[in-house]
Amino acid sequence: MSAIQAGLLGILYYLGNSSILAGPIGYYTVYRPLVGGFLTGLVLGDPVTGVMVGATINLMYIGFISAGGALPGDMCLAGILGAALAITGGLDTEAALAIAVPIGLIGTILWFGRLTLDSIFVHIADRYIENNQPNKVWIPSVLLPQVMLFFMTAIPCFLAAYFGANYIEGAINALGGTVLGILIIIGGMMPALGIGLTLLYIFKGEARVFFFVGFLIAVYLELSMIAVGFLALCCAIIYTQIKNSKGGEVNV
Amino acid sequence: MSDMENKEVVEEQKSAYNLLTKKDVKHSWINWLFHNQANYNYERMMGIGFMHSMVPIAKKLYKEDVDKQREMLKRHSGFFNCEPCLGSSIAGLTAAMEEQKAAGGDIDGEAIMSVKTGLMGPISGIGDSVIQGVIVPLLLAFAIDMSGNGNVLAPIVYCLIMIAVVFGISYSLYMMGYQKGSEAILNVLENGVVNKLIAGANIMGCMVLGALVANYVSMSCGIVIQQSADSAFNVQEQLFDAIVPNLLPLLMTLGCYKMLKKGLSSVKVLLIIVAIGVVGGLTGILG
Repeated sequence: MSAIQAGLLGILYYLGNSSILAGPIGYYTVYRPLVGGFLTGLVLGDPVTGVMVGATINLMYIGFISAGGALPGDMCLAGILGAALAITGGLDTEAALAIAVPIGLIGTILWFGRLTLDSIFVHIADRYIENNQPNKVWIPSVLLPQVMLFFMTAIPCFLAAYFGANYIEGAINALGGTVLGILIIIGGMMPALGIGLTLLYIFKGEARVFFFVGFLIAVYLELSMIAVGFLALCCAIIYTQIKNSKGGEVNV
Repeated sequence: MSDMENKEVVEEQKSAYNLLTKKDVKHSWINWLFHNQANYNYERMMGIGFMHSMVPIAKKLYKEDVDKQREMLKRHSGFFNCEPCLGSSIAGLTAAMEEQKAAGGDIDGEAIMSVKTGLMGPISGIGDSVIQGVIVPLLLAFAIDMSGNGNVLAPIVYCLIMIAVVFGISYSLYMMGYQKGSEAILNVLENGVVNKLIAGANIMGCMVLGALVANYVSMSCGIVIQQSADSAFNVQEQLFDAIVPNLLPLLMTLGCYKMLKKGLSSVKVLLIIVAIGVVGGLTGILG
């Protein structure tokens, strides 16, 4: 990997976290390993592998949501570095998934660090308002936190991508089968946390039984997610129609 | 302001408080969309971002009165945290209320603050469950399914849909908040249609998540009990798979849900999963 490519990956990781790409858009697009992996693949000249590795890593984080400022695991870093190391280090998808697990955990530190350090700029904003300088609010609101974020995200990602590829194969061999196996087991269980997090918001009232309906049709009928999605849409419509015709209240 | 713009504004707003132009309002929305989490911090979360979105509004409403301008921006630089897409309705609504106040309407700063902070919770609740709970996992699951052999169209299609969804919802809700005011938002929140929509979204989301558990959570028991020289009892195949395939992933997911519901932080639950993986992997219980 050339230094320029590693630098581009650093910028990619920054974009996933930044507000330059419209805050919420970056979080919903580049931040996801499916997209991050694809873009990493583009940078390194192998988008197909990027998409495949990204999709596998993304599965771990399928239901992960950030609510109230807590984010358990940095899927963006996991996606970019996982795909980068898979492409340049010649790892198979499973090994890439395994190393993406600890990378995602380490990345969380950046998130906490960022939210803590951003508090400093809050007081600069207060001072600008106090001095009647609303035109300068963008400095503590956007410029300073984003410059800080750039250094916090792009540099570690650049270093890991640039130097990691040379060592990753050796590291994987040194870790041995047991450690790799454990990481894969953990990676397999991780979607449970994401789905559990999402359930907190929607596993309510009369909707609960449909969670088990979805589980059972997927287990026994082996339908694709697209098929389940359309079926779920129909179920939701039928259910509310029946509720309406009985004149009953729909409980949320 | 040109005649045409003027006409538009009159048509689209409550004509009594015609102080802001469409340009000011759009500027405020853009600031909100791009920068609501530019300075995301533990002290006030999106507080500074929210205030940033009010800067164009304050500058227009109190062009000559820096004291009032300062007062308004100070009012909006406190704690604020909301799901950003649906939360744009609060930014729009706040702009409308500030306009009303500046025009001498019957509303004071405290009332604006209480409406704003009062809506934060319920709107986040709906936003998190509909956007992060249903739309994003569903689209991602579709896209991941589609990406099977490294299909590069999958991430591209996902991005295009997601961008359209976020921009569309954010813009239309900001404008709804601005034009229709707090009563409209409260009405919509209490209205049966929204309840039905949420109930429907919850049903759809639950079903999709159930299928995700079956397809994507993987966990299996590695214990094989040697009964005699040539017969072994494979716990996973002969016990769990016989009851319900993927029983362990289901239990694991429900376990995570229970722990989170009890108030454990998601980071702690993640560490518990890591611990289970290490113990299970070393002992061979999981494999």
